[in-house]
Amino acid sequence: MTIGQHGTGRDFRKRYLYLGGAIALGLLTLALQLYRLQIVNNERFQLLSEANFVKKIREPASRGLIKDRGGNVLVDNRPSFTLMITSALCKDCRTQVLPKLASWLLWDAAQLDRVEALLKETPLKGSDFQPIPVQNHLTQEQFDTINAHKLYLPGVDVGVVPQRSYRSGTGLEHVLGYVGEISRKDLERLNGELAKNNPDLEPEELERRSYALGSFLGRRGLERYYEGSLRGRDGSRQELVNARGVTVGDKRLQALFGGLSVPYEPGNNLVLSIDLRLQEAAERAFPGTAGAVVVVDVETGFLRAVVSRPVFDSNLMSGRITQAELVSLSKDPLQPMVNRVSAQRYSPGSTFKVVTALAALRSGLFTLRTQVYCGGGYRLGARTWRCHKDSGHGWQDGKAALQHSCDTYYYKVADTVGLDPIAQVGRELGLGAPTGIKVLAEDSGIMPDPAYHDRVTPGGYARGMALNSAIGQGDDTVTPLQVAMMYATIANGGKVFRPQLVLRNETYDGTPLETFRPALLRTIPLSPDHRQVVVDALSAVVNEPGGTAYGQRLKEIKVAGKTGTAQVSRLGKVRVKTAQMDYFLRDHAWFASFAPADKPEIAVVVLNEHGGHGGVDAAPTAMAVIKKYFELKKADAEPAAQVARMDPAMDPSQEPSVRPEQGNGAEAGGTGNDGPTEPAAFERPPIPLPELAPPAAAAPAPGQPKAAEPEVPADRVEGGP
Amino acid sequence: MQLRFERRLLPNVPWGMVSSALAIALLGIWNLSSAARPPQNPVWKSQLAYLAFGAVVMGVVGILDYRFIQRMAVPLYALNLVALVMLRFIGHKAKGAESWFIVGPLRIQPAEFMKLGILLMLAKYFHEHPKRDHEAYGPLEYIAPGLILFVPFAMILVQPDLGSALMIFFTGLTVFLFSRPKRWIWVTLAVGIVGVSGVLWNDYVRDTPDHRTVLRHHLKRHQDKRISGWLDPDSDTRGSNYHSAQSRIAVGSGGLSGKGWKRGTQAYLRFLPEQHTDIVFSVWAEEHGLVLCLLLLGLYGGLFAGALGVAFQSRDRFGAFLAVGVAAMLFWQVFENIGMVTGLLPVTGITLPLMSYGGSSLLSVMISLGLLVNVGLRRHIF
Repeated sequence: MTIGQHGTGRDFRKRYLYLGGAIALGLLTLALQLYRLQIVNNERFQLLSEANFVKKIREPASRGLIKDRGGNVLVDNRPSFTLMITSALCKDCRTQVLPKLASWLLWDAAQLDRVEALLKETPLKGSDFQPIPVQNHLTQEQFDTINAHKLYLPGVDVGVVPQRSYRSGTGLEHVLGYVGEISRKDLERLNGELAKNNPDLEPEELERRSYALGSFLGRRGLERYYEGSLRGRDGSRQELVNARGVTVGDKRLQALFGGLSVPYEPGNNLVLSIDLRLQEAAERAFPGTAGAVVVVDVETGFLRAVVSRPVFDSNLMSGRITQAELVSLSKDPLQPMVNRVSAQRYSPGSTFKVVTALAALRSGLFTLRTQVYCGGGYRLGARTWRCHKDSGHGWQDGKAALQHSCDTYYYKVADTVGLDPIAQVGRELGLGAPTGIKVLAEDSGIMPDPAYHDRVTPGGYARGMALNSAIGQGDDTVTPLQVAMMYATIANGGKVFRPQLVLRNETYDGTPLETFRPALLRTIPLSPDHRQVVVDALSAVVNEPGGTAYGQRLKEIKVAGKTGTAQVSRLGKVRVKTAQMDYFLRDHAWFASFAPADKPEIAVVVLNEHGGHGGVDAAPTAMAVIKKYFELKKADAEPAAQVARMDPAMDPSQEPSVRPEQGNGAEAGGTGNDGPTEPAAFERPPIPLPELAPPAAAAPAPGQPKAAEPEVPADRVEGGP
Repeated sequence: MQLRFERRLLPNVPWGMVSSALAIALLGIWNLSSAARPPQNPVWKSQLAYLAFGAVVMGVVGILDYRFIQRMAVPLYALNLVALVMLRFIGHKAKGAESWFIVGPLRIQPAEFMKLGILLMLAKYFHEHPKRDHEAYGPLEYIAPGLILFVPFAMILVQPDLGSALMIFFTGLTVFLFSRPKRWIWVTLAVGIVGVSGVLWNDYVRDTPDHRTVLRHHLKRHQDKRISGWLDPDSDTRGSNYHSAQSRIAVGSGGLSGKGWKRGTQAYLRFLPEQHTDIVFSVWAEEHGLVLCLLLLGLYGGLFAGALGVAFQSRDRFGAFLAVGVAAMLFWQVFENIGMVTGLLPVTGITLPLMSYGGSSLLSVMISLGLLVNVGLRRHIF
């Protein structure tokens, strides 16, 4: 007899039933929960499990190159080791990992704090698996140290990141600008704008175009203005990681989940109108501590050389700069961060006299033969306005007055015609308004007129103000770029161009995208006769005895130009030491010119800040630049056929092996390698060592212009082996 | 020790139950070979050895003299109590709990064996204090078995080993309910359940424990977090809910047919902690999917049914209560473990019988199965 069946245990049967039912109910509950997880929510958990181990690694696009008109690279990218930390994978970051890193990389307390703060900031949505770059430019030793201790550094990686590299010694820094790592604020703002402006964009595409932590952003000059074009589209690569964030080398899993990488698309290249050879000649020839040189094509408005001095170091600014260096930069009394070409205003001095001369002729009150007697000054009311030559120039007509820069003549003009007609001509020639270059920050300068004085000068307009303005003093202010465009307009007979720096935009492989045409803004009413008077006079300045720049004339080329020596009436706001006071009180030396005088091609303006006298301290630079320009022109025209024969790229019958190889390189860099059959696909790529600058690009032989390089991104950073 | 085996008893072996258990154990070893693969220790080999050893132990326990087992209840219980007390002093701390003895290469977990001692004691008590049909136990009669249950329960709870303690509690409760308590005890129990639910609600509806909470501020921080994590499974998945979230991801991503043996990414890439012990079921679910999960549940169902069958056919109250106790114990362990892995219950450290890696766990299950065999063998003998 058993207990369930008989006797005293009769009611056990019911209990077994209940118990069995309860157990069955329990198992059913489990089964239902399994069904809920595995069938109903399967998709969600599937995604979560993949998100667990598939680490999407952003591959930043290689930024577009910036080249001069001859194809010489001004800005490119070099590989650089960057230390990155993925906060989600960095276990015991604060207590274990960071102190170790600090001791190995010799961080000071401030640096450690900075990194901690960087990691502590609330991670952006969904980005806690995104590595955050914490230190750029690791040395090889630092790189090796970190690799050797990788096991103790969960979540720490060293990535090879392309770093912007700027050609140095060109004086182009203000034009090129620099890049900087994006700040969180900018990141959120730019990505927000991007999403708002492109509501139809697919999420993947949006992500490729958006910025991530560690992305670089153009901060100034061309880098900033052409950010959208230079940047390119980021790619991505997927890696399998285990729970510690270490990439796993399991080929089968890679085959399952690999093959999802998206190659980056390099940014577009910019081809500038700058001629590097001319640029470097200008930079070398310019003697000043500070100032600017502007060379512009008078018939197109394209700039051929732009020097602004002093400069900052673009390479330093693009990442390596320390806080202390930044502070000292901003405290430098020479203000190296100020772009002298277009963002700083100066008194034009005598270079302005062409405006007064044209206004005089246009008024009809002064003709070619009108003479004014200079006795060393001009008397108006109770005051005498002095000419720079105390003994006076004697009788001066329009041409002689410009040639000798006789102030008295222009005082007389201003007193006769008034300020309005002068201001009218000045405005027509582009003074008092931005030139519209866009790429660079611009100061509009001031072209004062009576209304202006009524508005800003206590007591309003007085006749004497016209006298000051007539010789480029008083409230007149200009930028060197404005002066260059003004002389270009006089040289070309009245066409006002918008100055431009970029010839064209091309894809990374050299396919032109957008070619920029000369931008004619307006044509001003400039009588050919009047123009001829001015040109003759400017030519006499350089080429006839008695001209203020006669000593600097060139034998072969007839240059027309005007010297200027602008008094520095006010000191800037920068406090200077007594020892430097002397320098900051000196006059600015100007020379504004174009050449050849009879059929002008280029206008050259030199401003030597606190340089002294225009004829001595600015004109020689302009002459050297003009001479170089015509040398280069001659060299480019003559041996063109010869150069073509020497360049294998242009002759398919010679050395065919070179180009296909480079072509493959470009392809590998562009598309990446994600084939699941590739055994090394997930292994660390061999460390590319930073390459030195190609020697050919560094020093082009004079007379043999460097032919256009084959347009392969050999100088770009390659993503993999 | 007295062994007693007669050939004629062979058909009385509960073959269904034994084969279910064996099937689960073999599936478990297969699963372990995936859950812990190189570079981890390939533990399935030792598990196989444990299983072989356990089978022998099961056989031996099965043919022990029935009365000898009854007599062993008190000494076994006492010995385990002593072991638990000693654990306080010479136990090995792992993960914040003192649950282990280290004896040479062995790690012995006394709680695993305490369960058996309790079951034997309870069976003995209810055997020696019989009731007629339709008679029910009153509250005073539950004092003694209550103490039998409560003392080790409290000791295991303070180790702290919440999982084992709860499992023991629910097993004991099941046995008590099976013994037929008076009706108003049921009512009290129902009120108690409602009360506990109320306390839970009261304590966890707030963000942090404060003076208005009843129980919560007495819990250890990790226990508190487990409960709050259980009630809000999608919170803090990188912190206190990491285990739960990752095991649910593993189970859920398995789908209908699973990712395939040795293809589970959660386990292989070590997102699952303790993947070969407490949450081994998540590996199974991830790699084999719903169908084989239901098969496994079915096998456990077979095991429980076999155990209940043994109880049903046992010759006396001792056998019946022992078999019911073993069935309840295994059930609660399975329920708690799979419930925890699937996010139904808070995370507590408890093994899945026959599937989880671990000598103590496997051995204790095999011994309890041996007890069932023993009871089953003697069903017709008086």
